[in-house]
Amino acid sequence: MRAAYRILAGLVAIGVVLQAMFIALAWFLAIKDMDDGLVIDKNYDGNIGHTLHGQVGVLAIPIIALLLLIVSFFAKVDGGIKWALYVFGLVVLQIVLAFASFAAPVVGLLHGLNAFALLSVASMAARRVARSGQPAAETATA
Amino acid sequence: MPLATKLAGRRRLVIAVAATLVVLAPIAFFWQRSLVPNDLSPMTMGYADYGGGPVSEHVHHGVDVSELTGPPDQKPDVAVDLVARKERFDIPGRGPMDGFTLNHTSPGPRIVAKQGDLIQVTLHNDNVTDGITLHWHGVDVPNAEDGVAGVTQDAVRPGQSYVYRFIAKDAGTYWYHSHQVSHEQVQKGLYGVLIVQPTSADVIAAVHTYDKVRTVNGEYGERRVKAPGPTAQVRLINTDNGPMAAWVDGAPYKVVAVDGTEVNAPTEVSGKAVLVTAGGRVDLQVATDKPVRIGLGGGPTTLVIGDGDAPTGTQPTDRVDLLTYGSPKAIGFDPAKATRVFRYDIGRRVGFFDGKPGLRWWTINGHQYPDVPMFVVSEGDIVRMTIKNTSGQVHPMHLHGHHLVVLSRNGVTATGSPWWTDSLNVEDKETYEVAFVANNPGIWMDHCHNLPHAAQGLVAHLMYTGVTTKFHLGGAPDNQPE
Repeated sequence: MRAAYRILAGLVAIGVVLQAMFIALAWFLAIKDMDDGLVIDKNYDGNIGHTLHGQVGVLAIPIIALLLLIVSFFAKVDGGIKWALYVFGLVVLQIVLAFASFAAPVVGLLHGLNAFALLSVASMAARRVARSGQPAAETATA
Repeated sequence: MPLATKLAGRRRLVIAVAATLVVLAPIAFFWQRSLVPNDLSPMTMGYADYGGGPVSEHVHHGVDVSELTGPPDQKPDVAVDLVARKERFDIPGRGPMDGFTLNHTSPGPRIVAKQGDLIQVTLHNDNVTDGITLHWHGVDVPNAEDGVAGVTQDAVRPGQSYVYRFIAKDAGTYWYHSHQVSHEQVQKGLYGVLIVQPTSADVIAAVHTYDKVRTVNGEYGERRVKAPGPTAQVRLINTDNGPMAAWVDGAPYKVVAVDGTEVNAPTEVSGKAVLVTAGGRVDLQVATDKPVRIGLGGGPTTLVIGDGDAPTGTQPTDRVDLLTYGSPKAIGFDPAKATRVFRYDIGRRVGFFDGKPGLRWWTINGHQYPDVPMFVVSEGDIVRMTIKNTSGQVHPMHLHGHHLVVLSRNGVTATGSPWWTDSLNVEDKETYEVAFVANNPGIWMDHCHNLPHAAQGLVAHLMYTGVTTKFHLGGAPDNQPE
């Protein structure tokens, strides 16, 4: 369970990094496509980068964050539940900010900033497993 | 192990399981509730909305939609065979594209008929694995010929054929497209142009965006046609998912028809663009004694009519407003005497659709597909509908089998030519009031023609009392109209 906690927290962090990569791909590709004749208007639905960013953002990362929260109930990680809740809360905030950014693009700045908060918190959560060491109870049952 | 430790460990486990349930139960509830059944009759879908008209009992033995056909025995005036294939085709000016074709081309063959002709189209599916249909967009055909998989027919599987027969009773500019997995099949090429009562001045401009490539009549870049005479009737067709602004560089123009209906007393327009709704058509009359360029939404694809250099302009910011354009005339019925009054509120919510989480799933009157209203009418009803959009995005609303007349927009009454439409561009925060006469019995889709939106559940139906359908959405033929 402790290993699962560490892996899931790590996956959230990796997910955030992938999101940055996907969105960079999306807009560089869109610019190249525009040079190549693409028209970006209400008919444009985004490219592979946007699709990946959307899928990972509203599907993959929330599911991993949710699994992390559930695992935290069972894994005896010092402060594990608290950190899993931080991760989950920041993921929810990130989705809310994305939603708000469609109406007010300037909110997108906070969406970008919150990504770094999520990356840090998820990494710190993963590291807590290594730091907190084996608790007595788990040693006893092992 | 001491008993106290063992008990503490057990209590901890119980709390962990309980916490897990608390987290998962609401998610599982909303996820499960959003699932769309795999075999669904349009008859039992959602809830009946009688629009203030008489509440009719659920009919199980009415006329089946498959009986509402075009003339069965008459000899066709125009007979066309169309073979649908998944294959690579060429976009002149651009190169090869993987998609779908009809008779090896995309767009498919132009179908041209005189007013009153009986059109017969035999559709063959060679190798489109999901199955196909053809819908006659904007043509008020009998219901059985409407080509909606799961509502008016089963999808035509590979190796199968289907015959459509209908009278071309209204002159005008129309198009046809698949209505099976349409969000994918139309975009990848299963569409074509249908003209009823062509003129010698016709210039067709059917705009379609394949994967990132916007084309006119299936061709990319600056395309040229000969001037048909001193004036041209430019038939603009928007086969895409979003609205398109069109304009003319080099000459003024008149908007002479919208969605296959003539505009009454059109006036000359210059320095303005006209909006062509997704799925909609607009006919322009343009003087072509000098070369002119038709701007088609911006980008490299334009249509030049005539020889020599045509001016290159940019998209005008001013728009022709069809609410006030042209002069009023009688519409043939009195919307004030409506016998059914409906609302079609388009909203969105965060949550699940068919098990998929998302930020903006569409709602109709606060309900999510398939729990959407079934608008019930009887033949002869005068129907008013208020379409209100608060969903954050534009929606091109398309009612099958009927033409609507616009009464007002955002409370401002229409004062121009009667604005008859089958594809109405409803922007975010806009409210349209429309009216129509229920004169074509059947079960008709009333949906957003941004086809990915339709696939995300922005679909309702208009149902006539006494009409039933034996067809199912999903099921063994795997009918997926959107």
